[in-house]
Amino acid sequence: MTDSGSPLDSLAGALVETNDQLLALYQLATITTQSLDEVEATSEILRRAMDLLDADEVVLRLGDQELEARESGQPSVGWRSRTPRRRSEDLAGSSNKATTSTAIDVSVGALHGVLIAVRRERPFGTADLKLLSAVATMALGAVQTSRHHHDALSRAVMARDHDTAAELAQLALPRWRPSLPGLELFARSDSARSAGGDLFTFAVVGDTLHFVVGDVSGKGLPAAMMMTTVISAATAAFQTEGKRGPSAVLHSIDRWVHDYLSEAGLFVTLLAGSFCTSTRELLLANAGHAPVLFVPAGDGSQRARTIDASVPPVGVLPLCALGTDALVEEKIEASPGARLVVASDGFTEQPNQVGTMWGEDRLATAVTTDAVAAARELGERLFHDLEHFSNGAEQSDDRTLLILGVVG
Amino acid sequence: MDISIRQTQADSSSGGDAAMVMSLTGRFDAHEAPQFRAAVAEAIEEGTIRIAVELTDVEFVDSTALAELVRGMKNCRERGGDLSLVSPSDPVRVILELTKLDAAFSID
Repeated sequence: MTDSGSPLDSLAGALVETNDQLLALYQLATITTQSLDEVEATSEILRRAMDLLDADEVVLRLGDQELEARESGQPSVGWRSRTPRRRSEDLAGSSNKATTSTAIDVSVGALHGVLIAVRRERPFGTADLKLLSAVATMALGAVQTSRHHHDALSRAVMARDHDTAAELAQLALPRWRPSLPGLELFARSDSARSAGGDLFTFAVVGDTLHFVVGDVSGKGLPAAMMMTTVISAATAAFQTEGKRGPSAVLHSIDRWVHDYLSEAGLFVTLLAGSFCTSTRELLLANAGHAPVLFVPAGDGSQRARTIDASVPPVGVLPLCALGTDALVEEKIEASPGARLVVASDGFTEQPNQVGTMWGEDRLATAVTTDAVAAARELGERLFHDLEHFSNGAEQSDDRTLLILGVVG
Repeated sequence: MDISIRQTQADSSSGGDAAMVMSLTGRFDAHEAPQFRAAVAEAIEEGTIRIAVELTDVEFVDSTALAELVRGMKNCRERGGDLSLVSPSDPVRVILELTKLDAAFSID
């Protein structure tokens, strides 16, 4: 405010000054909408504040960092460590003939800072302090907005990368289904999250279908990444060891992935099998996987038989350390109408709204009741039955189902 | 899940290594696994390599929990000790049998 002339001149001067400050505040308010870069937006606010307050220096302090306004046209140097001169706090609140400085404490959300303005020649007035307070809030608000934006951007990038990795992992599951005379195959895997550790894969070599079904311990992307490794190992094992039977396939997979799994603190339950369409011979070797049910051909009155594991899951103990006879290979003559049902624990351990699990008995009953249904029809029905049973309860784990049906 | 821990006297066969009994109660699944892993890691870091995990009052274990038990068992065995399972409840025993993990653990 000017100090000369009549009261009318003083009043007019004060009005002009107030209008100038309002205009400056309006200009300040538009800055943050033009940039989301923390240094750029905040520096611009400080520079405008310097002009507005006719200050020689405006500094925003946040912890041990400070940002200083530069003359218009000069690039900001960005955040820097507080200088020893400023750490001494001799700027804030000091006043002498040459220099006046004032400091405003400000908090926005979790951020706490101090805005310091230095002016030579004339002291700061009450109106200046209010303006400075508004500038401080805006400057800290700009910092907070920029940081929120940056955090949101980082989270979005991470989420996108996670989704991409999950999508890639799930692509390891075969989308094709083998077509062999005398055989029906249903295979489906639904992850509880965007990716999961359940797996199945197969290969046709001559008149024989080789397959594995498994479940990597744990959930989400880590399990899914390990799942892809197991599928690669199985795919190679089908070609190199398939003729020697599923027991040899499991040993081969174990040699490939045991150390890898062990290092990661994970294991994978695995059922390996083969079915020869010429001889209708079904061979199975089970390393810790459940449930595995075989339903013999008949009129539907036959009970499902459980194919038990003979060794722990792969990754727990090296198969070679368990002895040559530990891994048992089961041989089944499968007549037309017989079927093999292999599920993951996400099927049997799925709870309903009151916490009751679906359980192996319900699975066995459903499998035997529908003895005449085609593999695909039975598979879709089992998924439907499970969904109906869970009655809206959240999917607790990955659900995988493979049904192999022998047809005449 | 609750974990209660009590130090026990090591028997002469253990060579005098420190021993402890870790009693678990309730569900033991992916949500509880980190707590169990931290407790085992702390015990091993303090030199306890003989850990008996009492599972009498555990209602359910999932594959993540089983993996944690296996991890603890391996870590103890690598140091000359063991992580054994004590009195698993029926639901836990069934899962151990289905997965054949009963062949990998010492079960009392």
